[in-house]
Formats: sequence, structure tokens, C-alpha cells
Amino acid sequence: MRKNSCLVVGLGLVGAVLLFSARSAQAYPQFQFSSGTSRCAQCHYAPAGFGLLTSWGRDESADTISRGGDGGFLHGAWTPPDWLALGGDLRYAGVRNAVGGTDVPETAFFPMQAELYGRAAFGDSGISLYVAGGLRGATRPSETGAVIHSTAPISREHYLMWKPSATGAYVRAGRFYAPYGLRFAEHVYYVRRYSGFNLYEETYNLSGGYLEENWEVHATAFTAVPVGAPEILRSVGMRGSGGAVYGEKRFASMAAVGLQSRVMSNTEQRLIQGGAVGKVWVDAAKLLVMGELDIHNRAIVGGQSFNQLIGFFGLTFIPIKGVMAGLAAERYQEDLRVSKVGRNAVDLQINLFPWAHVEVMLFGRYQLTGGGSADGDPASLGMLQLHYYL
Amino acid sequence: MNRTMRSDGPLVLMLVGLAALGCGSADDTRPATWSYISTAIVQPSCATANCHSNLSQRSGVQLDGIRTGYYQLVARNFVLPGRPGDSALMGLIEGNGSRRMPPDFALPKADIDLIAKWISNGAPWSGPGSAPFTPSVSGTPDASVGN
Repeated sequence: MRKNSCLVVGLGLVGAVLLFSARSAQAYPQFQFSSGTSRCAQCHYAPAGFGLLTSWGRDESADTISRGGDGGFLHGAWTPPDWLALGGDLRYAGVRNAVGGTDVPETAFFPMQAELYGRAAFGDSGISLYVAGGLRGATRPSETGAVIHSTAPISREHYLMWKPSATGAYVRAGRFYAPYGLRFAEHVYYVRRYSGFNLYEETYNLSGGYLEENWEVHATAFTAVPVGAPEILRSVGMRGSGGAVYGEKRFASMAAVGLQSRVMSNTEQRLIQGGAVGKVWVDAAKLLVMGELDIHNRAIVGGQSFNQLIGFFGLTFIPIKGVMAGLAAERYQEDLRVSKVGRNAVDLQINLFPWAHVEVMLFGRYQLTGGGSADGDPASLGMLQLHYYL
Repeated sequence: MNRTMRSDGPLVLMLVGLAALGCGSADDTRPATWSYISTAIVQPSCATANCHSNLSQRSGVQLDGIRTGYYQLVARNFVLPGRPGDSALMGLIEGNGSRRMPPDFALPKADIDLIAKWISNGAPWSGPGSAPFTPSVSGTPDASVGN
């Protein structure tokens, strides 16, 4: 009875998201609508966002998002030929992590990301090759006792794409995240961490879709990176194969609703997940309302199945150019049968873009288990991140 | 362009969202089986990018599968069947004598209790196929445990 009522509430939340809010983007979903841009692919080469910026995206990053500067490659000092696009991301972070109990809070400063991107287009064929490669960031030192953090090389994205125009059909094959959900730059958000899009969880895919001004659809067949793959290609997460679909409808350049589903299986378990995302930009208040809710059903081969819930609801305030402040509530319930195994988080995120190519991010999070401290120690995380992109 | 919205939208979302927080029963009816513990608790919490995934394998431990995780924990004596109090795994997830695992957010108490119950029951194998390792009740902890 309780389980049924819970599912009803969950479906109600899906409906509410559909009714009142919207969408996915990877990286900075906060910029959809708020920057005056409706489609993620306007600013990114990837059809559903993420990664290397287009020339339009670079202009937006300077003129609309930052306080000033030139968003071009190398600040405009050299412009690559039309067939070539280059870029990169460098992030350095300091974190303070407190998990309660007898542990003293952990403080760490570490390189978080050092990646370079390249995209080469082959004439007017609409075909392009995209490769990203760099060094892994790691919060904690390697176990040899060395102070140098684990920074092995990794390529988490590399793909061939046929995309002859800004809108219309496309096909993409290679390694990347399948279009799905609100994919924030911050992988700690539950909707990334627990939905199959955690750090280095990119799969190998054959994906296709269709983009229009007011709607888009994406369908992806994927398989995990093999266990024995070279270290530079390895990934994390459930190792299996499956498919994902994502569709989004946009309204009046200020709202979007997305529906999504993903199925994955391996020799040990089968996962079916589905949900919705929503987004509404309230221009008068300079406020973006975002939400995502996913319900997962996991079935263990030869065993039982159980349901999970992952949700995000956030408000992002963009009062002036170069300043973005977000407040969010999150929920992850690993098994809907038991309330006290749920995690709740409240997050405060402030992004400052003082100059093109430069970002300062402050992130604070407080997490509670179940109904309170009796169900588990609360935890807090504070992070300062410095980000520079080429 | 006139950009307006229904002013009650965010409020409705928030209220429905808060209602969803109460999902589930206060009683723990979940099975104390390894296949469940691995799938629902260990893999999402421990097999992450910088920890016990195929990518990092901290302490040489990989926990991103039911079979792999069972072998790593039981064959290497992180789990001593029938003896949760002596099992290094319990010390790690409770934070007794070492830094608590996972290091970013402690497991819910109900999850820790479920793992203790599984170990108390003899840490039997459950999952597809035959057991990757037959546990001994007289094992001693791996020397690298807690490092």
C-alpha cells in the first residue's frame, strides 16, 4: 500500500515537472533560455550540448555570460580555419569534506580537469571527427604515498558525426554521454551520479536524432567500455548494453519539457529508468526553475527487483551578467521500500564569470540521510573551483 | 517577447517534491543478500571514478559487479563470514579504526545493519551462477585492509 502510494507520488512529480517546467543540456543547463539561446547545439558542437563550443557559443560566453573579454580560441589571438575547432578545460579545486562520526573533516586541493578538445570537419560533407583527451583529476593522493595525485591520461569522448546543418537529422558514433537528463558540469549532483552519468561513465554509442527550433529527439544504442580496455579508455559504472531516448519540446523560448527513458542490462542485472525534466525561465525575475525526476527499476538476474528515485529541483538566479547563484534540493532513494535509506541534499552554487574564459565556482552542500541523524551521519561539502577554458 | 509563467508552478513542484521525500516504509523489508547489497548499496556508493571502480581500483579492490565484489571482499577476508564484529568491511563502513568508507558520505545506518546481517548469516553467495569463492570461517584480514 505504502509502495503504491509512493509510486503515485512519484508519477505525480513527473506530471508536475511536465506541467510546470524542462530539459537537458550537459555542462551548463543553466544557460538554456537564460542566455537567450534555446538549443544546446547552438553553443556546442555536440547535438545535445557538452564539450567544445561553437563560434556562436564562444561569442555568447563572452558577450552574454561573462563580464567582458574575447571568447575566441586563445582570446582571439589566433582563429583556427573553419574546418578546425580547438579548445580545452582546466579546473583546479579545493574541497572541504565533512562526513561526521569520528572522522576529521578532509581538506584537499587538487587538479580537477585538464583536457584538450579538437574537432575536424571534412569539407562540406557534414562529417566531423571529435576527440577529447587529457589527464584525470583525483581528490585523494595515490596510495604509494606520493603527493602527486592520480592523473592518468584518459579520453572520455571521441566520435565521428554526420550533422550537415544546425537543425535536422544527425548521426553520431563513438564515446560520449547519451543525451539524457539534466547533465550538469558538476557530477556530484544526484541526477548525474546515480543515473548512469557519473564521472567517466561515458559509453560507446551509436546515436541519432533530429533537431528543430522548438523540439528535438535523440535515440542512442550503447555498450560499456570492455573491462580489458587500455587505461586511457576505461570507464566506471554498470557495465552493460542498452538504449536511451530523450525528447524535448520547447515553448516560447522560455520553457522546455523533456521525457526520457533508458534501458541497460548485463549478465547480473537489468536497469529500466524513465523520467522527465523541465525548465522555465522567468525573465522578469531573472530566475530559472529546473527539475528532473527519474524512477529506476533494477532487477537482479535470478533475484528480485526494486525501485529507486532520483530527483532534482533547483532555482538559478542570474541577476547580472557574470553572476549566477543556484539553490537546489535533491533526493536519492536507493530503494523505495525503505524511507530511511534516502539521501537528501541542499546545494548552494555560485558561479562567477568575471572575464571570458575564466570562471570561479563556489559550491556548498549539506546532505542528510533518511529522516535525520538517527538514520546516518549528515555530511557537508564545500568547494572552490577555478576554471579556465581555452 | 512576453515571457510569463504560472506563478504557482515552482510552489507546486516543491510541494510534490517534498511529498515524495516520505516514500517507503520505516521497516526494513529488504533482503540481506549479497546480490541486493552489491546492486543497491555497494556499486553506487563505492565503485566510483576515484575509488573501487575498474578505473581506479583503490587498495586493489574493485566493487563494480556482483561477482567481482563478492570475490574481492570475501576471498580477501574483508568479510569474515558469521563474524561482522571482526570483519574489516564493517570497521571501514562504520569508521572504526580507519577513515570511514565511503569517504564522501557515510552509508545510511540501515544499509550498514543490512550488511552486518548478511555477514552474520555467513555471507553466502547470491547472484547469477555459482559462487566465485567459497568462504572460510577462519580467515584473517588482508594486510592491506584500511590502507
